[in-house]
Amino acid sequence: MANYFNTLPLREKLNQLGVCDFMDSSEFLDGVSALKGKKLVIVGCGAQGLNQGLNLRDSGLDVSYTLRKEAIEGKRDSWKNATENNFTVGTYEELIPNADVVINLTPDKQHTAVVNAIMPLMKEGATLLYSHGFNIVEEGMQIRKDLTVIMVAPKCPGSEVRAEYVRGFGVPTLIAVHPENDPQGKGLAQAKAYCAGTGGHRAGVLKSSFVAEVKSDLMGEQTILCGLLQTGSILSFDKMVEKGIDAGYASKLVQYGVEVITEALKQGGITAMMDRLSNVAKIKAFEISEELKDIMRPLFQKHQDDIMSGEFSRIMMEDWANGDKNLLAWRAETGETAFEKTPAGDVKIGEQEYFDNYTLMVAFVRAGVELAFETMVQAGIKPESAYYESLHETPLIANTIARKKLFEMNRVISDTAEYGCYLFDQACKPLLGDFMKKVDTDLVGKNFNEGKDGAVDNRQLIDVNEAIRSHQVEQIGATLRKAMTAMKAIKTA
Amino acid sequence: MFKPFLHIQDLNLSYHNKAVLKDLYWEMNIGESYVIGGQSGTGKTSLAKAIAGLIPYQGSIEIDFDQLSKLPKEVLYVESWYQFKNLEGVANFYYQQRYTSQQAKETLTVHAELVGYGKEKGLHFDQVEPILEALGFATFASSQLIELSSGEHKKLQLVKALWLKPQLLIIDQPYTGLDAASRKNLNILLDQIAEEGVQLLLICNDTELPTCIGSFAEIRNGQLVKVGALESSASNETHLREIPDFLKEPPVYSSQNIVKMVNVNINYGKKQVLKNINWEVKAGEKWLLQGPNGSGKSTLLSLVNGDHPQSYANELYLFGNRRGSGESIWDIKQHIGLISPEFHWYFDPTATVWQSIASGFYDTVGLFRQLPYTKSTQVDELVEYFGLTENKNELLTALPLGKQRLVLLARTIIKNPELLILDEPCQGLDQQQTKHFNQLVDELCSNGMTLIYVGHFESQLPTCIEKRILLEKGEVKVVETILENV
Repeated sequence: MANYFNTLPLREKLNQLGVCDFMDSSEFLDGVSALKGKKLVIVGCGAQGLNQGLNLRDSGLDVSYTLRKEAIEGKRDSWKNATENNFTVGTYEELIPNADVVINLTPDKQHTAVVNAIMPLMKEGATLLYSHGFNIVEEGMQIRKDLTVIMVAPKCPGSEVRAEYVRGFGVPTLIAVHPENDPQGKGLAQAKAYCAGTGGHRAGVLKSSFVAEVKSDLMGEQTILCGLLQTGSILSFDKMVEKGIDAGYASKLVQYGVEVITEALKQGGITAMMDRLSNVAKIKAFEISEELKDIMRPLFQKHQDDIMSGEFSRIMMEDWANGDKNLLAWRAETGETAFEKTPAGDVKIGEQEYFDNYTLMVAFVRAGVELAFETMVQAGIKPESAYYESLHETPLIANTIARKKLFEMNRVISDTAEYGCYLFDQACKPLLGDFMKKVDTDLVGKNFNEGKDGAVDNRQLIDVNEAIRSHQVEQIGATLRKAMTAMKAIKTA
Repeated sequence: MFKPFLHIQDLNLSYHNKAVLKDLYWEMNIGESYVIGGQSGTGKTSLAKAIAGLIPYQGSIEIDFDQLSKLPKEVLYVESWYQFKNLEGVANFYYQQRYTSQQAKETLTVHAELVGYGKEKGLHFDQVEPILEALGFATFASSQLIELSSGEHKKLQLVKALWLKPQLLIIDQPYTGLDAASRKNLNILLDQIAEEGVQLLLICNDTELPTCIGSFAEIRNGQLVKVGALESSASNETHLREIPDFLKEPPVYSSQNIVKMVNVNINYGKKQVLKNINWEVKAGEKWLLQGPNGSGKSTLLSLVNGDHPQSYANELYLFGNRRGSGESIWDIKQHIGLISPEFHWYFDPTATVWQSIASGFYDTVGLFRQLPYTKSTQVDELVEYFGLTENKNELLTALPLGKQRLVLLARTIIKNPELLILDEPCQGLDQQQTKHFNQLVDELCSNGMTLIYVGHFESQLPTCIEKRILLEKGEVKVVETILENV
């Protein structure tokens, strides 16, 4: 199979990269009607599978699950999840032939095998739904021409998808129709209905394409979302310990700090995050984040280039074929870091203290978000898509670190994200060697304002504020956040 | 000369910038046990937390522990509500979660929780077993915390306290959610530990109390005052107002059949929670649903409210439609106003009073949209009716528990629903508030509303009740018409 994106002429590449439409709630007035009475069959019953299925059924749709024979006969967890909640469960042969929509919610790595198994069984004119486009775009999976191929991707873990639905809300969701597979022109209506069935239509829906989703998703997850948060966390912890800060305190500051800091990011963008610092600290954070951007720009660009050319997927799939050799080695290495092994100390850290004593992380987040956003937009991805895959998701990932550090983050994210995260981390740590030598405890571990009189130059402060506020990620963010009302505040220990 | 066991002097305390305790002076002698009662919002919980050293205060609180006793020299405060965490240390649960079967275990089991507690406090596990037996809790050892109802969580808290036997034990609302038999057994257990030297401070307005309770007190104007008995004193702020006009409209029924269950069964693995339930509720009927803790009441109600995943495999009709015939849970919920302890427990902590009530129009936990003018006026009217005007922009969670309950009760009736499901609605209310609320229920029901009411206290029921269903161990024991009240 050839990389789908690379088979396209430039014009069509740009065309598909540029699909990006933040949908108005009036587009969802039909609710689930396009799928009413249709047979929805979900492949896989893990966290996403079960929780999406519960929501769809509670929205009045007909949902059942299909699992591999071994999972059914072995009464595995996926089988128990489905049967104990009174869903019909059957083998591919039993359920796929009657399905109007087959929803593939298995891990990326299994997609090729799963799709090859189910496609011959699917009835003429049915729909195949993905929640990530990797299989189509990077692996170049060819789907039978009579089938419709759509994507609905809730931008949250499965448990949140359910929790938000039963509250009467939903999670932000991305939808797409694959232009090669929309023979009846029904793809968009079905994707919207599916989205409404999971509750996503209440929380902001972005219409994208398979290509734009994959290229921006890969970029975001490897650089700012997982990669830089991992690198920044480890470097910060090591620096504090090196400078004699109590390890328990350092561990807690790093584990929860990124969540507290990015909560401000979620509510009001980079501006709100930077405004939580004192004026002197803000100017300092601005200066070092500018420096960080200069240092890391080539690395961000390399990641984006490799994603666009398919080089990233190629080496990752090589590793898959190689029994995940690199992935497993990097995972083990992450589990062995001092940060991972030092439990958070039993010390109280106030909310403001997380900003004042962790100015370095504020700088990392600003640099990473802006760089990822800029690099994506330069590569032809629309600002709205770039916003989703950079700033918007950062707090969600930060939340997983607060739960159980980097191990938890890497457990929750997809296998492609985990691979890309390690790849970035391996390259970024040495790149920041010289920079980190200059960092002292005023930037990480102690209150930056301590021993300073707080005076700043008016002109300098005005310039810094202007630079922060006028960045494109701030302008697009302000518009999008207004549309995603009632975002729930993430709670901190 | 005896030193008092507990000596409080010049105690000053504020709750959300409002002074609740003012220069409070109080002594509790060795061997004494008290009940502190009175209206909700007077500062009982704040006082208890101050004595337990859980919140900052001004003034002095001294406790003269018995150095010779082998009972732990500590004060244990048992909260009226507590928040358990999942295995990852967060508490982001939703109230329907325990009905869903999920293989990935999210919370500890009761057994693991108790083992952990025993280890932390240096207690012997064989001493907890008789307590578990006495409270009818032994069968829950393998249950996960998320699977417990509010009454069962209360029992878990009580088990820990009775096991620890601290020299001063303060229990906030000890009887909340407990059935009559458990309340009786709890009193026996409390008397036993009092005999061993534990001094009790119970915060409640209940009248069936352990015999060791010798004295009563209430907080009045910031002072703790010893009283002869708990008064059902007329509270000065909740005089009866006329109900808003929009609540006088009789409901419009789309079907006369509100609920119909035919041989309904609910199982979790091998555990059967409901067995062959047959039950019909017709439009306008007023039902009392009773049964001991763990008899399946909440599960039964979750079927009616569209919250149970296993509804789809049972023969169940709601508002005339077979469940699973293409309706959404929101289609069902729009006919219903529901309150339950679990619903309160898991309610949106970021919502204000006004938003909480308004969200009742859409059956959402938290408000996610703009209200049209007529609806927002109705919210204002109901806020006024419940005497909540001055709190309307405060966070729900910033109010005392009794007031929070009033807010959620207002939310329950805001859309003048066809069916009211009131599962222990008056938990945390004082006697006067309970009486008023039940009068309101009677008034709403006289306009034709259908009612399913769960209450463990026979004396605290609305008078309109005309039918009764009794569950025991997941089975219907009794279905009857209560003639006296017709």
